[in-house]
Amino acid sequence: MKIIPIALRNISRKRVRSAITIGSMAFAGFIMLFFAALGQGMLYTMEQNAVGVYLGDIQIHAPGYRSDPDLYTRVPDPAALVDKLEKAGFHAAPRLYGFGLAAASGNSSGIWMRGVDLIREPKVTLLDRQVMEGAWLSADKPKEVVIGKKLAYTLGVKPGGEIVVVSQAADGAMANDIYHVRGILKSVGDAVDQGGFLMVDAEFRRLMGVAEGTHEIAVARVDKDRILAEAADTVASLAPGMEVKTWRDLQPVLAKMIDVMDISLLFMLFIAYSAVGMVILNATLMNVFERIREFGVMKAIGVTPPQVFSLIMAEAVLEAVIANVLALGAGIPVVRYFEVHGIDLSNFSSGASLAGLALDPVWYCKLNTKALTMPVWFMFAVVLAAVIYPAMKAALLKPLDAMHHQ
Amino acid sequence: MPLIRLSDVTKIYGAENKHPFTALAGVSLQIEAGEFAAIMGPSGSGKSTLMHILGCLDTPTTGEYHLEGDNVDRLRGDQLAAIRNKKIGFVFQGFNLIPRTNAVENVELPMLYSNTPPEERRRRAAEALRRMGLAGWEGNRPNELSGGQQQRVAIARAIVNDAPLILADEPTGNLDTKTSAEIMELFVRINREEGKTIILVTHEADIAAYSRRIIRVRDGLIVDDERREGR
Repeated sequence: MKIIPIALRNISRKRVRSAITIGSMAFAGFIMLFFAALGQGMLYTMEQNAVGVYLGDIQIHAPGYRSDPDLYTRVPDPAALVDKLEKAGFHAAPRLYGFGLAAASGNSSGIWMRGVDLIREPKVTLLDRQVMEGAWLSADKPKEVVIGKKLAYTLGVKPGGEIVVVSQAADGAMANDIYHVRGILKSVGDAVDQGGFLMVDAEFRRLMGVAEGTHEIAVARVDKDRILAEAADTVASLAPGMEVKTWRDLQPVLAKMIDVMDISLLFMLFIAYSAVGMVILNATLMNVFERIREFGVMKAIGVTPPQVFSLIMAEAVLEAVIANVLALGAGIPVVRYFEVHGIDLSNFSSGASLAGLALDPVWYCKLNTKALTMPVWFMFAVVLAAVIYPAMKAALLKPLDAMHHQ
Repeated sequence: MPLIRLSDVTKIYGAENKHPFTALAGVSLQIEAGEFAAIMGPSGSGKSTLMHILGCLDTPTTGEYHLEGDNVDRLRGDQLAAIRNKKIGFVFQGFNLIPRTNAVENVELPMLYSNTPPEERRRRAAEALRRMGLAGWEGNRPNELSGGQQQRVAIARAIVNDAPLILADEPTGNLDTKTSAEIMELFVRINREEGKTIILVTHEADIAAYSRRIIRVRDGLIVDDERREGR
């Protein structure tokens, strides 16, 4: 027997019942898609905050620098290494670091100076897009700096404000100069927020007397689907003798937390989907009970139990297919909208951080393969699981009992 | 070889219970192909149980049932379903048409599950309806047909697969006298012109009078088996 045309015919025959069943399944699918996309968006934003704004996918340091961030421990010849990395399918940005003391308006604070490569850094991270007030660094204005949000508060400065910086240069002499605040970053992480003092790399070299080498090279995969561990191996082979770490190695707590959240998200989805499963089970059971006499007649005229079972399963799967099409049709545009606009929760929470990285108070959806396929597969799984019992019940009905069912 | 041969068939409901009910107490019966027989009896006599066993809708507790020479009393559910589909057409008192499904689709139903091509299915269903005097009513749903018309659709469904045996359980029970007579004339015609074996269950003597054999059942036993001239 050709089960699909018969199932389709049965679905179209009982239009109202089918519309209610498919409608409730489609609504559930829509909610599941939105929920999954929101969850994926949250994880993606967290990872982006870690990787895209701050860390980069991979970092290269001279051996020992991470345990003792010394001004003299540098990666030699960074230009050549960056060139090799770019040829191997990576973006790479050299960074310089130093510590100092900043004073402004009678306030002072320790600072963590960072020399930024203005051409390469935007290819590796989105730091240049995190400016909350004022503007990003400019090569034409080397005496203008971008500082962290909390540092600006501590020093009591706003864009245009003056800051005096004192440090010890590489040659042991005192390094000091006056800078003007060009921009203030929004919250990106505790270290940057409290002490971040970003300047043009050439100015850093001048101030600190660092002529050669660099303290860190941040690397980003051009192809984001490239496996991180394999990419790190490639980078390590291009930077022999250097310490190569992935962002997961650099922020193990955050990496673990994202992994746990990913699993807990699955668990939450399972709970939400199970509730949806009950709706589907109920709709399917009602459908079967409503048609018991019909199944009795079908069996009396020679339809076999496996045929009845297959027919009910096919009807449910077809309804799930239609419901999924509707759910995706309605859900994808909505998710796409919230991918761009986000849900702003800044009135309820702002400045929260996790493992030293700021949490974005705006929740965005992220429509990746997982968010798209998980609700679809789950709906099919729930439908099949939910329909087995009523299908078995209908298949095992005795024709006489079914025909006399009241 | 008789079309139907029952040998000492019993049917006991709740045999494992303290108070089992014996619906058939040892029935032996032979019906030849082409016969038109009526099973009569008061309520609770066992006539419907006998009909259900003849229709492979139920199985005997003991005894043997041979249909066209094949022993069918111990077959599995799917094997019985195949026999019902190929060898037996049913007509029920309550018509038992599928709601929200038009007449021709109701008649197609037995062929729907047996790989008959759609065009062939539609042609045979329309032809069966025409023979029942329902040409032009193919697209009407059960709620758009009178009781008599619904029963004609049910008869068309019973004959569409060309089954040799038609079983009718109180086929006129829900119909008025005039319509009952029309329906019975249809059975007579199917029996005479197409040679189908017809067995009907009824408690009405004037309906049984259309048949050429009346089997009377009481307390689970055949108490009388009368062969006669039908109308």
